[in-house]
Amino acid sequence: MNYNLVKAGLNLHAILKNLEDIAEFDSEMKELTSSWNISIKFIVKGGPSATVRFSGGRCTVEPGIEGKASIILWFLSPAHLNRMFDGAANPIPLKGFTKLGFLSKEFPKLTDRLSFYLKPDDKLMTDKNYLEMNTRLTLNTAAFAVPEIIKGDPVGKKISSKIPDGTVAMRILPSFHSVNITFSSGSAVAHKGDTDKPSAVMEMKNVSLANSFLNGRTDAFTAIASGDVSIKGIIPMLDNMSLLLDRINHYIS
Amino acid sequence: MKTYKYNATQKLFRRAAKVIPCGIYGHYSPAPLVPATDYPFFTSKAKGSRIWDIDGNEFIDYMCAYGPMVTGYGNPKVDAAAQKQAKLANCVTGVPPVMVELAEYMTDLIPSADWVFFAKNGGDVTNYAVMIARAATERKKVIMVSGGYHGVSPWMQGEGHHGVMDDDKKNVLAVKWNDIPGFEKAVSDNRGEIACFISSPYHHPTFADNEFPAEGYWQKIEEICRREGILIITDDIRAGFRLHMGGSSEYFGYKSDLTCFCKAMANGYPISALTGTESLKSAASKVFYTGSYWFSAVPMAAALTNLREMKKINAPKIMLNTGKKLLDGMVKIASSYGYDLKVSGASSMPYLRITNDPSLMLHQEWCGECTKRGAYFTSHHNWFISTAHNEKDIKRTWDIVDDAFKAIKKKYGDEY
Ligand SMILES: Cc1ncc(COP(=O)(O)O)c(C=O)c1O
Repeated sequence: MNYNLVKAGLNLHAILKNLEDIAEFDSEMKELTSSWNISIKFIVKGGPSATVRFSGGRCTVEPGIEGKASIILWFLSPAHLNRMFDGAANPIPLKGFTKLGFLSKEFPKLTDRLSFYLKPDDKLMTDKNYLEMNTRLTLNTAAFAVPEIIKGDPVGKKISSKIPDGTVAMRILPSFHSVNITFSSGSAVAHKGDTDKPSAVMEMKNVSLANSFLNGRTDAFTAIASGDVSIKGIIPMLDNMSLLLDRINHYIS
Repeated sequence: MKTYKYNATQKLFRRAAKVIPCGIYGHYSPAPLVPATDYPFFTSKAKGSRIWDIDGNEFIDYMCAYGPMVTGYGNPKVDAAAQKQAKLANCVTGVPPVMVELAEYMTDLIPSADWVFFAKNGGDVTNYAVMIARAATERKKVIMVSGGYHGVSPWMQGEGHHGVMDDDKKNVLAVKWNDIPGFEKAVSDNRGEIACFISSPYHHPTFADNEFPAEGYWQKIEEICRREGILIITDDIRAGFRLHMGGSSEYFGYKSDLTCFCKAMANGYPISALTGTESLKSAASKVFYTGSYWFSAVPMAAALTNLREMKKINAPKIMLNTGKKLLDGMVKIASSYGYDLKVSGASSMPYLRITNDPSLMLHQEWCGECTKRGAYFTSHHNWFISTAHNEKDIKRTWDIVDDAFKAIKKKYGDEY
């Protein structure tokens, strides 16, 4: 497994996944995408693939390339895909030449918004909506990064072998947003939303504390000791998951 | 029953977090105390089996400083010996004579010990033991039990932990506890390369039931190790002197080549020891190993008095019996509320778990409820009993346990 392959997995399955929530929770983007009826496949030679679908006012980003697509974007390598995410390369459209206008004008409005929300500065963070969106996307990115780290990162693989089977729930209170990650035999699947019978739970007291915590501005131990973040259940699952999350920084910052 | 508040604790913790990494780090970190807000973090005073936090709350302490307290906080005999020595000399140029006396006493006390080496912490001597084993065998690999804890040197920590490099773990093989075929396989896959097997005398991981050796386990391990020229290092840092005054290998009936002691040695005065057999004395003398405070006399004087006192009263037997009585009563109380409180490990350092909820959440909540009522129970780690825990403590603990179960039952009804 190499650096670019893991990074491509993170870009496609953890970062791009956030388009779903942007299309749902950013009112401008919701309006923009409400009438879109289009699907885009991202295919990377020797790497991951994903399909972004817009239909019925909803956006979904799923791994794989099942079903028909209006547009196919082809990448020569994982490194090529990563360069596109860094804004330094363009994809090769294989299908959907009639939709090039959409690709060059409409779709970038959404992806630009994604970059906007994921690149906070102090001033932006004083805005409640921005803070909420950044927090939501950060939690999603963390959750969906876990399976990628386990799959591709050699250290991540070793860490995951020590995680007992079960589901970890991460919640931002009060009922703001939740994700859950199910571990089974050393692999993981992430979902948005809560879960019924988690094996371990991490609850962040509110959006602003969650933001500091998830972005590493407050130390985890301190947050837990003071009750800003509470954990319960099979704590080694959370300990190991946090080691997995710490691996993300090797690939994307 | 009244439950405690921790306002001063939280306030001081916020100050601590500004100037100390994690606020409180290592095994004293509040993070595995679930929920952390049910626990005191700072202890201002201790006596016998009790501690008082900075909010003035009093606790019967079932963690005993994670093991070092064994004959009661402020034990008058041990403290008197320490103070007497302190008046003479502590950390000075030249070695205190009490060091020789203590070494002589320990080689008499511990059948597997022909010599003793002193340091401060447990990890000092587990690391030294492995270095000696490598020097003696001229082999590089180490077998340890997964889930076992031997300290914080990079080779002892988990892969992926911060500050641990792949190379640090390159020569460390992990086997499962009580798994003789797994052990045989590790040995045959690495024949002639394994210096030692380091293990606690019984398996006492965190967050999981503790396990005694299966019938014949240690004897089989011994047979394989002798056959293959692998040295046995017993990490008796936690269990040492809580099962047997001759070391836990006596309790389980096997011969240890190198044995690490620490926690119960000096009732809280900082000292650890590695003991070994005659045949390893030469290798031990060749490995350069030392530390600034390793020759301090006060902990040695404390250890000498503490060990003598423990031997005199048969401290392990007292602790095993006290633990058994306490736990039998607790299990009964639990079952009267419909909960199955499972006890594992030695009764002098038991691990407990309410099995009704495999996620441990119910157990964690119950431990927090007990702690808030004055019985300091952790949910992630084995507890420790001391010779200072008495009938009164047991009865009070039962009352607390009962009230905490009542509170849990009221909250959850028959959910579990
Ligand atoms: C079994 C065992 N080995 C080694 C150690 C490490 O001892 P120390 O923390 O004193 O270095 C501990 C500490 O808890 C222990 O329980």
